[in-house]
Amino acid sequence: MAEAAPRLPDCPRTRLLVALILAFAFASVRQITSLPLLAAFALAALVASGQPLAVVARLRAPAMLALAIALALALFSGSDTLWQAGPLHLRSDGVAAGALVALRLLAIVTLTLVLLGSLPPHKLAEALRSLWLPAILSDLVMLTLRYIDEMRARLARAEAARRLRGGGAGWRALPERAAVFATALIHGQHRADRVWAAMRLRHYGAARPATPPFGLHDLLWIGAALALAAALVWLDRAT
Amino acid sequence: MHLPDGLVPVGMAAAGYAGSGALLALSMNRIARLPDPQAAMPRAAMMTAVFFAASAIVVPVPPTTVHLMLSGVMGVLLGWFAVPAILVGLFLQAVLFGHGGLTTIGLNGLIIAVPALVAFMVYRASAGRFPRLAAGVAGSGGVILSLAIFAAFVLLGLPAQMDASAERAALVVFVLAHMPLVVAEGIIVIVLLQILSRVEPGLLPRG
Repeated sequence: MAEAAPRLPDCPRTRLLVALILAFAFASVRQITSLPLLAAFALAALVASGQPLAVVARLRAPAMLALAIALALALFSGSDTLWQAGPLHLRSDGVAAGALVALRLLAIVTLTLVLLGSLPPHKLAEALRSLWLPAILSDLVMLTLRYIDEMRARLARAEAARRLRGGGAGWRALPERAAVFATALIHGQHRADRVWAAMRLRHYGAARPATPPFGLHDLLWIGAALALAAALVWLDRAT
Repeated sequence: MHLPDGLVPVGMAAAGYAGSGALLALSMNRIARLPDPQAAMPRAAMMTAVFFAASAIVVPVPPTTVHLMLSGVMGVLLGWFAVPAILVGLFLQAVLFGHGGLTTIGLNGLIIAVPALVAFMVYRASAGRFPRLAAGVAGSGGVILSLAIFAAFVLLGLPAQMDASAERAALVVFVLAHMPLVVAEGIIVIVLLQILSRVEPGLLPRG
């Protein structure tokens, strides 16, 4: 997933902008007749990723959520009963509302994973920094990504040690788990102090690279995303 | 407890971005007044990573389990840094795992960051006289406030044709299912802050 697919924008900032433009356009779809278009966009994004199976594997949890929302809306929303089994009523407007929400969700998550989920962490931070957001956000992204695996491993080790010492499970273990959490926070604080000293020695924050202007390729991608978004919204409102 | 993409109208999602943006601007303004704002950043990142990992801790609520939210304790320990830390966490969850949503980062930010800031202020105002009570209120109150904001957003955002009584019943079940989490987070925050006040009081908010 880390290698750039040739059919996607190279620049992380362009990817983030294209993802946001298209995600908001997908979220604005109101008509069920526009859903084939959304599905086509999502499929095109999957193909463009160059690794459709890897993206589909990451869609498992969002797909379960989409299915649960679609079922809830189909059973509890609307008035025209399509099918009935005991107390369960499948309603036509509920099915339409459920399909709309579920497909919007899956199309946006697919787009997000294809355009942004494939970027290496430092590129994500670079994208945020080049969008004129506060530097603190991109620095937080970078440092959080740097420590996240380490902290997960530390908490997992501490939890395993707690269990080996005969620690309980469920509700009785909550105070012990809070102690594990406190230990991780204290270690994290000490580590953060050392990291900050090292960052100061490397002149952190003394100068930030200037944001480069958009290239022609990037402007074409952003223009195409805006045109697609406008066309989708226009078609949706016209039907 | 995240709003996914596609569930709420696009205008509401955009309003969420505006609301979270305003909250971020306010917190950046407060952070800029700190004696050395950059010095607090590695600590905020480290804590964001710890909270990210610790939110995987589950609380048994038969027949299922719920994840810790930790909005109250994030507010107490990070103060104004909780807002950028929470927004960064939500962005990473949406981009790396497809949890939450890209269009709903703003709304989800409000669901978690507003209770975090309220917990921070409540704890700072009352921890001097009633430390345990303040910790419990920050932990449990953070979850209750998050639940209330989440429920309000869902009620505002769901399709109009949704059966109102079914919608309310579903929300009542959802809120009741999270009550054990309210208790659990209260216990965790009380124990956690007790340990920190004994072992590493520098981690607790001052004044």
